[in-house]
Amino acid sequence: MEWLRIFGARFGGLFRKRHLDGDLDAELRAHLEMLTEENILRGMSPAEARYATRREFGGVEQAKQLYREQHSIQLFDVLLEDVRFALRGFGKRPGFAVVAILTLALGIGSTTAVFSVVDRILFRSLPYPQDDRLVSFGDKAPFEANEFVLGPDYVDWRKAQTPFESVTSFVPGGADCDLTEHNPVRLKCALVESTFLPTFGMQPFLGRNFTSDEDRPNAARVALISYGLWRSRFASDRNLPGRAISLDGRPTVVVGVLPAEFEMPNLGHDDVLVPAALDGSTDRGPHARQVILRVFARLKPGITIKQAAAAMEPLFEQSLYYVPPQFRHEVSFRVRSLRDRQIQDARVASWVLLGAVLAVLLVACTNVANLLLARATSRARELAVRVAIGASRGRLVRQALTESLLLGALGGLAGCWFAQLLLRLFVSIAPQGIPRLEQATIDVRVLLFALGVSVLSGFFFGLASALRRPAPELLTGKENRATPRGLLRQLLVTVQIAVSLILLAGAGLLLRSLWKLKTVALGMDTKSVITAGIDLAEYRYPDSAKQLAFFNQLEARLKQMPGVSWLALSDTLPPAGGTQATFLSAIEIPGHTKFSTGTGGMISYRYVTPAYFSALGIPILQGLGFQEEQRSPAERPVILSEALAKRLFSNGEDPLGKSFRFGSQNNWRTIIGIAGDVKNNGLAAPADPEFYIPWKNESEGYFRSGHLIVQSAINPEAVAGWIRSETAAIDPTVPMTIEGMTTRVGKLAERPRFTAVLLSLFAGMGVLLAGIGIYGVVAFLVAEQTREIGIRIALGATPRSVLRMVFSNMVRWTVAGAALGILGAWLCSRFLESLLFEVRAHDPFLLGSALFVLLAVAFFAAWIPARRAMQVDPMIALRYE
Amino acid sequence: MAPPRAEVLQGTLDLIVLQTLHAMGPLHGYGIAQRVQQVSGDLLKLNQGTLYPALLRLEQRGWISSKWGASENNRKAKYYSLTRAGRKQLLAETESWERMTALMSRLLGGTEGA
Repeated sequence: MEWLRIFGARFGGLFRKRHLDGDLDAELRAHLEMLTEENILRGMSPAEARYATRREFGGVEQAKQLYREQHSIQLFDVLLEDVRFALRGFGKRPGFAVVAILTLALGIGSTTAVFSVVDRILFRSLPYPQDDRLVSFGDKAPFEANEFVLGPDYVDWRKAQTPFESVTSFVPGGADCDLTEHNPVRLKCALVESTFLPTFGMQPFLGRNFTSDEDRPNAARVALISYGLWRSRFASDRNLPGRAISLDGRPTVVVGVLPAEFEMPNLGHDDVLVPAALDGSTDRGPHARQVILRVFARLKPGITIKQAAAAMEPLFEQSLYYVPPQFRHEVSFRVRSLRDRQIQDARVASWVLLGAVLAVLLVACTNVANLLLARATSRARELAVRVAIGASRGRLVRQALTESLLLGALGGLAGCWFAQLLLRLFVSIAPQGIPRLEQATIDVRVLLFALGVSVLSGFFFGLASALRRPAPELLTGKENRATPRGLLRQLLVTVQIAVSLILLAGAGLLLRSLWKLKTVALGMDTKSVITAGIDLAEYRYPDSAKQLAFFNQLEARLKQMPGVSWLALSDTLPPAGGTQATFLSAIEIPGHTKFSTGTGGMISYRYVTPAYFSALGIPILQGLGFQEEQRSPAERPVILSEALAKRLFSNGEDPLGKSFRFGSQNNWRTIIGIAGDVKNNGLAAPADPEFYIPWKNESEGYFRSGHLIVQSAINPEAVAGWIRSETAAIDPTVPMTIEGMTTRVGKLAERPRFTAVLLSLFAGMGVLLAGIGIYGVVAFLVAEQTREIGIRIALGATPRSVLRMVFSNMVRWTVAGAALGILGAWLCSRFLESLLFEVRAHDPFLLGSALFVLLAVAFFAAWIPARRAMQVDPMIALRYE
Repeated sequence: MAPPRAEVLQGTLDLIVLQTLHAMGPLHGYGIAQRVQQVSGDLLKLNQGTLYPALLRLEQRGWISSKWGASENNRKAKYYSLTRAGRKQLLAETESWERMTALMSRLLGGTEGA
């Protein structure tokens, strides 16, 4: 514990400094006096004695310094001194400090804000114990983005698998369910297995998980509820477990409450977990209802994803035996980490944004480095003095680094505040579906990141000026003629220009792509169209007859409304695809061979009323639209989309009047028309082929949800209010979402817009900072060369030639930076490729525009100080200093 | 020619100061310096100023304590005295020093014999 004692004494010393110094002075004085007296006693003269004393004692100041270093924590002491000195320096030139801190705040702030968002996506562990062992696996098929497992396969695999510690599943598309007690609400229920929580390493916060006995068909109904639901609906009642609630009109016992941090692996917002009650059937016969599952598993320790995939492959091969031969080559097996499944395509955009802010930070740091270098040049004399009176090289480097680290810290502090603002901006302009954005906050982890970034950048931009060799020969009194031209500074500006050009080029690509997305032909007219999505509760409308009756009644009522040009109903709405679909290979047309050897992909279809095409402005290219009388069950017309017609009748045959049959339906339909293609697979992709069937002549249909489409020139607010009141008149409990068709379509471009806006913001910052950097360097060079310019003017140089002199310098490194930037942009734009729509990553026009913008900014930034150079008055310049 | 004066070995100054205080009882800095000079004759070159940081170091370790008092000719001076911990430390250091010198002389003597 000795060191602790010494540390204590020294730490105390920090605060008793003055007192200790006084003591020492008194003690040393006494010593010196006694020594002098002794020497006088030996017979020296007083002068001799004092001299001898000095010699015997050695340096008094050195002794004091050693003593001081001994009595306090030296590093700390020196640090405090350095910090005080640096602050005094900033105070002397507040302009410099403010510009440096603002620049850093911009860089560190945006880096921190973006990090707080992408950290959740890319780096931070998922809220499950040992989350790196969690995977999702299953069949990968062309018609579905996420892997899935068929029920019978799941039963077999669960038994035979070896690489996983535990395996679990849930039934996708978790159904809506209704809490049907007083004041009913619509909830989201997920069907999960009893192994679900244990596999993810989670435990209920209250009560228990359901048992495997409760997870059987026809078992008594039980449920786990989310923490949020427990708080909001059950007032945090700790006695809730064990009590029955009414779920979809049936009594269900709540056995437990999920912990607050619980998250569904698909990031769904489910309120209730109910047992999936899988029957364990392995019936793969033609009439078996095979359930489709999402399967998750926890890897055994030490097993990699690759090994797991290899271990599962034989099981997958066996399951292929049951897959119709024509589909086999389309299905593959995939195991991927839970994180990969969750973030899907957000990965590329995340890296792009992170890269972009780091580039901005780099530009900001080079700017500050330049400022410091410029300051160091004007402080060369001060440094020379310090060297001359004995400051060691290390001491000067330490002082310089303290200064830059202090700037970094202050910039970081301001940056955190700026990051908070930026994050708020991100969240407000962010679209739906950016994973975990709502969780992003500036928390301890992000603050630590900001601190790290501040320190690192402080070190980075301070290094250049810290390592400058001080030149004590400046003190000889000779003119400091040999000012270096600041090669390092110009190099830094070159880097800035290169980096800004890359940012600008990237932003240009994304903006152009966004513009293309916005102007893409939708195939329909969304203007003055209002839609209302309606979901009927299953317990109130259990069968299609009741569901149909509701919608028919609603349609009849709404038809009374004046000012409505068109009123239509459909089960689904573009730009989303239809939810009902059949394989291309399941479509039959007499006289045609099968359309595909494989599945051919999914062809979706919609149920629509005759006015659908007119209300949405979808052209009927050939034949006719549906007629009112075709809604009767006896009629079986079908309308194909242009893409489907081309696919089915590739030989140029006339499709009209041909018979058509799909899926397991036995009845033949007649093709009566061809409708124009409508975007139904996102804005970027070409429209998928689809077809239309008249709304409600299918008794086997399922109409729990539908959309009203109203085209009207009247104020949309009025129309919305009127739809609401008419619906409420039929059934006040029916929930609906009303939105303009234009808004609906606009949502599709939100993700690309988000990325493009952010990247443009960062590119703007980068260019602005680079401009400031160029301005700073040119201004500094001009100030340094004022004498030279004055002499040149005195000797007859024209303003033009002065301008040329200043510019020739700048042009050299701007061109070098631009060349580097073009090369960099060429290389970097490849990473953007997957984010682009109808824009080539190497678009020369865009790159040229970016270059033009940058050069314009560079020219302007250099022009301001260059003008000053032209106006140099030779008389004043020659008297300079 | 006079024998070359030895520099104070790193670390030995502490031992010298402790031993001096042990032999002489409480002393002020000047007294310690005088005593060291006296005992060593002119063999030891002691920069008297370096004594003070060493005294502070020993005090921080708790081996000596200090108190203001009056000197023989009534001057205000700081007196240093050995603490119990200091006595223990002196004993330990003396022992290890003796072991070391014994070892060194044996080593050097051995070389000579060979």
